[in-house]
Amino acid sequence: MSLLRNLFARSSVERDLDQELRAFIDLLVEEKVKQGLSPAEARRAALVEAGAVEHLKDEVRDVRRGAVLESTWQDVRYGLRLLARSPGFATLAVVTIALGIGANSAIFSVINGVVRKPLAYPAPERLMYITSQFPTLNFSKFWVSPPEYFEFKERTRTFSSVAAYSTGAMNLSEGERPERVNAALVTASMFDVLGVKPLRGQVISAQQDLPNADPVVVISNELWQSSFAGDPNIVGRQVRIQGRPNTVIGVMPSGFDLHDAKVQVWMPLALDPALRTNRGSHYLYLVGRLAPGASQAGATTELEGMLRQWREWVGTGHVPNDSTHRLQMASLQDEVVGNVKGALWVLQGAVLLVLLIACANVANLLLARAESRHREFAVRTALGAGRTRILRQFMVEGTVLSVFGAVLGLALAWWGLKYLLAMNPDSIPRAAEISLDPAVLLFTVGVALTTGLVFGLAPLLHMGDQAVSQAIRDGSARTTATMGRNRVRRALVTGEIALAVMLVIGAGLLIRTFKNLTTVDSGFDSEGRLTFALELPRATYQEGAQREQFVSGLVSRLREIPGVDRAAGMWGLPPARPVSANDTEFEGYTPKEGDPPANVDYYQIATVDYLKTMGIELRDGRGFEPTDATGALSVVINEALAKRFYKDQNPIGRRVRPDGGPNDPWFTIVGVTRDVKQGGLENPAGTELYFVFEQGVRAGYVPDQMNLVVQTSRPAASIMPAIRSTVAAMDPTLPIIQMRTMDAVVGDSLVRQRFLMQLLGIFAAVALALAAIGTYGILAYMVNERQREIGIRMALGAGTAQVVRMVLRQGVLIAAVGIVAGVVGALGLARFIRSLLYGVSPSDPVTFAAVSLVIAAVAIFACLVPMRRATRVDPLTSIRGD
Amino acid sequence: MARPPAALLQGTLDLLILKALNLGALHGLGVSRRIEAITRGTFLVKPGSLFPALHRMEEAGWLAASWGNSENNRRARYYKLTAAGRRQFESEVSQWERIATAIAYALQAT
Repeated sequence: MSLLRNLFARSSVERDLDQELRAFIDLLVEEKVKQGLSPAEARRAALVEAGAVEHLKDEVRDVRRGAVLESTWQDVRYGLRLLARSPGFATLAVVTIALGIGANSAIFSVINGVVRKPLAYPAPERLMYITSQFPTLNFSKFWVSPPEYFEFKERTRTFSSVAAYSTGAMNLSEGERPERVNAALVTASMFDVLGVKPLRGQVISAQQDLPNADPVVVISNELWQSSFAGDPNIVGRQVRIQGRPNTVIGVMPSGFDLHDAKVQVWMPLALDPALRTNRGSHYLYLVGRLAPGASQAGATTELEGMLRQWREWVGTGHVPNDSTHRLQMASLQDEVVGNVKGALWVLQGAVLLVLLIACANVANLLLARAESRHREFAVRTALGAGRTRILRQFMVEGTVLSVFGAVLGLALAWWGLKYLLAMNPDSIPRAAEISLDPAVLLFTVGVALTTGLVFGLAPLLHMGDQAVSQAIRDGSARTTATMGRNRVRRALVTGEIALAVMLVIGAGLLIRTFKNLTTVDSGFDSEGRLTFALELPRATYQEGAQREQFVSGLVSRLREIPGVDRAAGMWGLPPARPVSANDTEFEGYTPKEGDPPANVDYYQIATVDYLKTMGIELRDGRGFEPTDATGALSVVINEALAKRFYKDQNPIGRRVRPDGGPNDPWFTIVGVTRDVKQGGLENPAGTELYFVFEQGVRAGYVPDQMNLVVQTSRPAASIMPAIRSTVAAMDPTLPIIQMRTMDAVVGDSLVRQRFLMQLLGIFAAVALALAAIGTYGILAYMVNERQREIGIRMALGAGTAQVVRMVLRQGVLIAAVGIVAGVVGALGLARFIRSLLYGVSPSDPVTFAAVSLVIAAVAIFACLVPMRRATRVDPLTSIRGD
Repeated sequence: MARPPAALLQGTLDLLILKALNLGALHGLGVSRRIEAITRGTFLVKPGSLFPALHRMEEAGWLAASWGNSENNRRARYYKLTAAGRRQFESEVSQWERIATAIAYALQAT
């Protein structure tokens, strides 16, 4: 009640208070008159006794509930008026804060969308992701085989349902235009596990998930809209996938996906539960939903127990166990977010540093302003304004600044992030989840208020009682600098420089990492090479011979395109492709305890001209020749394989074969190539075995999907149309998949590192700029303040050199202390960034030295203007002062 | 030179105001003068402490204020105890007595 009265009936409350105090004084006067004073004397005495009436009113107002609100509003209005009066200061402060807050909001919105936001399934925390591990092969995350899936599903008690899936891309032809879509082959149980109902129609039933069932497909809402224009009769419609007709049985709701695979079509995996052979064929990922009452820890314990018992259930053959073939589980959310989490927290740390620097800068700006407002506050204090009231005004002014900064920063964050994400597609998982939701807004408001309060309080550092009385006494601010005040300002700038050093070192390390990655020897030559992929649907190209014929024919036609020097086909596209890990028999090699298992990381199947087309150098023996197409079965190995299995022996002439039956043919090693990166540029090249594509029919395997590569000296864009028409002339229904230069392929494999480097680079640049402004600010201020002193020195005979030295000494001292502190800080933080680096130590002396030099140069550069101003001080005017 | 008035103990101002008003409604200056009288001049309550305290106690519901006329027919704001104020006064008195006894014991201890 009284709150409302105080807020809305302000004038009546004020009037009451006025009258009450006036009556008090009148009564006091009366009393004094009665005691025998003259009316004038009585009034004077009464006023003295009443004290500072304005201050008294302030106190009473503060007592009144609601008073806080009201005077805050007054402060806000006053603050706004002040800012409007000094637009330069306001702009600088708001922009500085906007940079600090914007960077924080941007990174928080990424963390919020990618890491914090739960996956879009019911009870997503109950979903577990199960993968296998082969510790002896150094595979920490691998697939699961169908028999392993069935055995796990049948025996687990801690999961209410388990599903398996694999993903890939498929050709969808609707009418005449072929389209490439992301497909997930899933068991019928997948929809139970994920707990999502279809928007229309049905999901895959257990019967539809059996081998030889009628082909059906469930499509995503997005595909329904984009490729079928939201056709209301979509359920029941026939679409051709991989050349085969499939019946659409359902449409999933918008946003439904699995492991960020951007799945557009869901099809039955059609595993045969009765078929438990082929135990070594690992190609599935498992997702399970914990049973009610079961915990993740309980499920892990159960899985550990199963690994010890598995052998008893299955008997012989390849079975999961607790040493060489483990199964592991993690929550689906952790699995999807994966290793990007660490990088994001590093970024959040970085932007926090940026914000601290921005705060220090604004605090210094406010301090400097407080100097010039010294007298205003002194007068107000003398008139009876309470310390708390002045304090509050500082905080309110700070908050007003930071709120403006936050609004601008949010806009900056939003557009900047959109732009960077568009420039670096697929650099982080769940990018679609990044949005300006209430959590991000709340975070921004929180940051804005906190920073506003923090730097708003900075001017109080020198608003002691002494400062007030001194300001009045001084009349003008022409004294030599008050030491305490300057210590605070210098400490702030030193801190800024230290933080900037840490950030720039971090960015420098990432830039070196990226440079190391781009110059890492991939083992092939990406320049002047153009690549694309084709998938030959089994419906049209059922026989291996058909596929072999098509690809061989295409390669020779591509070679005839004017401007194309060489052309070749390959199964896997370097430098980043999934590991194949094939068990392989090396004639005469039986691994003993401690020997590497007979397994090859990467199989490559390439046409005869492949090594030359890709610029892969031979180390020993020969490459494939055209005669190999019809000649003896032969393979080429890479150096890593030679080193692992042949050590000091000569591998040329030795024989190998993929692990199969005893009647399978042997392949003779004819050559050794340099290692080519396959598992990403940042990883060591694995072992690799090259087969001749043209021998595929005899060797027993001709892939459905091939990558083609042409070498040309002409610009890529001028060759592309000819390639398209060549493919179309051979089969117009084949979509060309991802035609791009090999340089782009290599670049795309580094998209995350590039994104990280760009972001940290931007933050470091902002930090550096802010620190430079801060350094400039304090020196300019110092020169200004010491003008009189400089004038006297000059009058006494000091030369320009001495004045310059004086200013420079200050600047250099600040910079030196800041740099040392920053270097120490960076060393302390080294472990956080270690996992993001490649080929450079987190305490890399070159980076540290270079960054220190750069910062020192920037600091000295920031001294230049104040230095010049110092030398131009006119002794006469400065001494005469006012 | 008069003896300087003693500094008010934290919390005693409320008690003194409640005591002063327990004897009847008063305006601000009246409260001040009555405290001076009942403490035999030991405590001089300055307006800077008095008015914030009166308003705070009014907000707390211990006092009620109304405009009335002084003995010389001047309009002044009169304060009087509410029922809640009376209860507060009683509890503060008993609390004070406990403290005073405790302090007295403490000072007598050897």
